[in-house]
Formats: sequence, C-alpha cells, structure tokens
Amino acid sequence: MTETILSVRDLTVAFDTRRGPLTAIDRVSFDIGRGEILGVVGESGAGKSVTGSAVIGLIDRPGRIAGGEISLRGERIDNLSPEAMRRVRGRRIGMIFQDPLTSLDPLFRVGDQIVETLRTHTDLSAKAARSRAIDLLAEVGIPAPERRIDGYPHEFSGGMRQRVVIALALAAEPELIIADEPTTALDVSVQAQIITLLKRLCREHGTAVMLVTHDMGVIAEAADRVAVMYAGRVAEIGPVASVIAKPHHPYAVGLMGAIPTLSQEAKRLSQIPGSMPRLTAIPQGCAFNPRCPKVFARCRVERPEPQAVEASRVACHLYDSAERAA
Amino acid sequence: MSAYVEVTDLRRQFDVSKPWLNRVIEREPRRLLTAVDRVGFEIAKGETFAIVGESGSGKSTVARMVVGLLPPSAGEVRITGISMTDPRQAAARRRLRSRIQMIFQDPYASMNPRWRVGRIIAEPIRAFSLIQGEAAIRARVGELLGLVGLHPDDARKYPHEFSGGQRQRVAIARALASQAEFLVGDEPTSALDVSVQAQILNLMRDLQDRLGLTYLFISHNLAVVRHMATRVGVMYLGRLVEVAVARDLFATPRHPYTRMLLDAVPDLAHVGRARVPVSGEIPNPIDPPPGCTFNPRCPLANDRCRTEVPALLDGVACHAVQEGRA
Repeated sequence: MTETILSVRDLTVAFDTRRGPLTAIDRVSFDIGRGEILGVVGESGAGKSVTGSAVIGLIDRPGRIAGGEISLRGERIDNLSPEAMRRVRGRRIGMIFQDPLTSLDPLFRVGDQIVETLRTHTDLSAKAARSRAIDLLAEVGIPAPERRIDGYPHEFSGGMRQRVVIALALAAEPELIIADEPTTALDVSVQAQIITLLKRLCREHGTAVMLVTHDMGVIAEAADRVAVMYAGRVAEIGPVASVIAKPHHPYAVGLMGAIPTLSQEAKRLSQIPGSMPRLTAIPQGCAFNPRCPKVFARCRVERPEPQAVEASRVACHLYDSAERAA
Repeated sequence: MSAYVEVTDLRRQFDVSKPWLNRVIEREPRRLLTAVDRVGFEIAKGETFAIVGESGSGKSTVARMVVGLLPPSAGEVRITGISMTDPRQAAARRRLRSRIQMIFQDPYASMNPRWRVGRIIAEPIRAFSLIQGEAAIRARVGELLGLVGLHPDDARKYPHEFSGGQRQRVAIARALASQAEFLVGDEPTSALDVSVQAQILNLMRDLQDRLGLTYLFISHNLAVVRHMATRVGVMYLGRLVEVAVARDLFATPRHPYTRMLLDAVPDLAHVGRARVPVSGEIPNPIDPPPGCTFNPRCPLANDRCRTEVPALLDGVACHAVQEGRA
C-alpha cells in the first residue's frame, strides 16, 4: 500500500449513561492510504457514523473516546486540545455530510462560505480566495461558477448543493475527507454524478476518503476497500471486489445475500433472522452469535479477533483452524 | 376478464399560488403544479404493479389517489369495476373500502403510540364490524400476528417496543386485518436496513402467494422493484414514460429515461465501474419544460420532442422510440 494517511488502532468510543458506560465502538482498527477510498458499511446502529465522528473529534458528550489511537500521517490526533483539533478539521480533514442544507449557512452566499474556509485555513488574500473559490466551484462541476458564487444555498438544487459542500470540503486541500452518507439524500441519477465526482477528485488530489454509507451499491462503485461493521465492531475488512463477491464473515455473507440486485432475479432474498442488538444488550463473545447460522460454542464466550483470510481480515472463529493450519 | 384496478387519464394539480392578497397586489395569476398528468394503467388480480421514479415524479400522488386518500383533479380510478369517485357508486365503494389498504414508509408514524399493538391491529376489524365478540377478535389478532411472523403475545406490547422491521410487520398485519385483497405500499421498505428489508420483501411475497393479494408497489429503488414486480411503470415529472413487464423492462429498457435510470443505479455487480453519468437534474415541476419533460436531459431530443408531448403508445412515451431513432 502507498503512504498511510489515516490510521485507527483499537478505537473505543463509550457513552456514559446513568446505568454505566455503553460501548458504541469496540476496538475498531483500519488504515486508509493516500488516494484510497475506504467504504464503511453497516446497518443503522452499527457505529459507522460514530467512527467517522470520532476521527474528526466531533463526539458529543456524553460520548467519549475511551481507548485506542487515531493518527493522521503518523501524528496522533485523538488527544489534541479542542483548539488544536479545530485547526485540523477543515484544514487537514474535510467533511461531507448527508444533508447539504445543514452544512451550509442559509444566510450567507455560497462564495462567502468557501472564502471564509479558505481564509481561515490558508493565507490567501481576499481576492485570491475568491478566484480560488470560483475554481473550486468549476472543479466540482457547477455551471457558470463566476455567477453562481454569489447565490444563496436555497438557490441551488440538492445535487448542486452537495457539490458546493464537496467544494468546501476540498477548499483547504485536506489529506483526508470523511463523507458520511454523502449521496443518501439524492436521487439516483444525481447520486451517480456525485459518486463519479468524488472518485475523480480523490484520485486527482490524492485525498484519502472514508466513505460511510449503508448503501452497498455506492460502496461497490466508489470504494477501493470496505469495512463491514456490526454492533460497533469491524466484522470484515478487505478489497471491495472480494468482500462483495466472496464475503467470509457470516454477517457479511447474509448482508450481501439480502441486497436485491439489478443484475439477477433472485427468487427469494436470503434473510438474516432478528435484528442488530441494542448497545445495552450486546451478546457475549461474538456480537453476531445469536443471529449466526454457523454459530458454535466458542462464539458464545470468546470474542473473535480479526485475522487474515485471503485478502481480507475477518473477525470470526470459523477461520481459527485455517490460521492454525497455515 | 377486466382488470382488477383500472386507472384512466388520472390527473392531479396542486394550487401553489401565493395568498389572494399577494396575487392581487403583485398582479400574479394562479399557479398550478401538475403533480400527475394523464396517467393510465391497469393492474390484474394477483399481480404486483410497481411504479418507480425519482423524487417529485408523482408516484406517491398516484398511490394516494388510487386508495382514495386524495381526489383526482381529472380522470378515474376503478377497482373491481367500482369507481372511486362516482357519487352514484358510494354504497358499493363503502363495501369495497375494507378490501383496500395502504402500507406507509414509516410504520411508526402510522400507528398511535399510546395504543397496544393488539388494539391497533383490531381497529379495522372493529371499524368494519367484521368479527363480533372480544374473544373472537383477540383470536383473529393472534392469528394475524402469526401470519406476519410475530408472536400472538406481542399484541400486549406498544409500538415503541418493536424494531423498525417488526413495526412494518405490525403495519402489514393491520392492513390484512380487514381481509384486504389489494395493498398499496408507498416505499414500504425504504426506512429499513437491508437485512430487515429482505425480511419484509420476502414476507410480502409469501403473503401474496398464500392469500392471492394484489399489490401496487411504489418505490424509488429499482433493485427492490425488480425483485417484487410483475409489471413496472416508470414515472418522470408526473407522466408515465414507460410501462412494461418487469423482466422486459430490466432486460431491454426502451425509454431514454429508463435506460439512464438503470445505468445510474449503483449496484453490487458494478465493482469499480467507471461511467459517464447523465447530466442534469429533474426540473422544477411548477415550470416543466414544454414537449416531452425529459427533453433537456435526453441525448435523443430533437425539435419535435421540445414542442410535442409524446403519447404512451405500446408501453412507451417517446418520439425517438416511435420514430425508430432510439
């Protein structure tokens, strides 16, 4: 792999409640390389968004990082002061959220918001920042940027707004972008445009992207590698083609079988019985064991650690013997 | 045999004018938004007719008019030959009512949170006086809960005690309580996680096989539609642009919009696919383009497309297809 931009090791996020701490993220580890898109996929409650928030230091009380390390290009960023973290955010880590309207201030012109970001994080003059903002808008495919720069967010359509947010995220040339469900609020035809744009920009700028989404189709098209999360843990992480075509973890297998696809007509979708456990009742051992079709005694007592299976890393006891034999 | 549901020339306009005083002062005319324009289709008994489209295409408005939640501005819906609007058939319509039910996207919003699930499911039974006697009603509720894969004891719980997928099961049980034979589902699985979505889609298909139900299925998700539908209608800006047997539509889409839509959907089979997404977004329905509403985004558009509205002939509303240019 090329240079590692983001490295997350044993990240644990807990929420303190009256009944004691709840572990939302439990020892999650992954790396993202330069120019790489890591997809983080999971169902609601799997902890994928919390992982993204932890990386950008936006975990709100009563949540806190209870363990592990997050490093950006080898520098730890999980223990920075709020002031220092604020400088990292926007400058070195860009963010794209699901709803572009909530990340744009409705009272300010789009151009002023980009200029503000540029002037906060770079030493461009006001004039230079404005022409850079026009370039950015042009780069994300907004027609007539020199005119649109003076428009307000409500004058843009949903897809165009998301382009503005991407321009904002890219403004300070960050090393990493966290994109949390960036296409979920958009229609499919517009979604395709945004995915293509994100892929192209990431390749051109060498930006690492953590793409958080529940939509496996988006991951399949955009990501290089994918981490499948379940109940706050990474169940399987590996190259996107192999995780989709030949998943190893029983949860990943069930998830892929449950997704209806356009390319083939399935008589019946495979279904995983039950639903994701609540944080208050995460089962002992492997979190997936009560729903797993291949569960055995060890799964109920001992939590599986991620281990190499072919090109992926899989947290499942089924592969224990394989590793011992190898 | 005549169709179970016949929809002819359905049209719905919404008044989006400013208030009367503003109109008078600013000398503005009334403004009407045509949400649905001359839509016609038939649904045979026991089949699943799906309507797909992006947001703003009018698919939900069609669903609401079919079940009678919204009166059409013009056109007619007939179910088993009974008109849903003709005042002379009011008595027959009242008898028909109980056999038509709707399933909504958010099951929680469609249930009274202070009622126990047993009472929620029994409501249609009581409203239509279908079963007499509390014990008999309780038995029927238990039977319905069993039918949708829940336990009869769940009747004592409140909606908030269930997960999203279980709540959608309750909504289906309630829809079936009145001996419904025609169910209209407006994005019934869009709010659910994929593994839960698979459970609900499988359940809906099983119930259709067992009870001979007829479905009108509204969705923006083409993969889900492919999995569920026998026939599909594609809507764009209030008009039906293509109607075809599901297998044909997905194998050989004819309308340029359908082709674009199928090409735009991110799918598991498209790992790392590079493509040229279609430009543009859906225009504002208040001010739709003249002629074929898809013409500004269509690669095949010519002068005729920009002036003349194409009629739905032989399942497709497109000048280019009819002239053999496509």
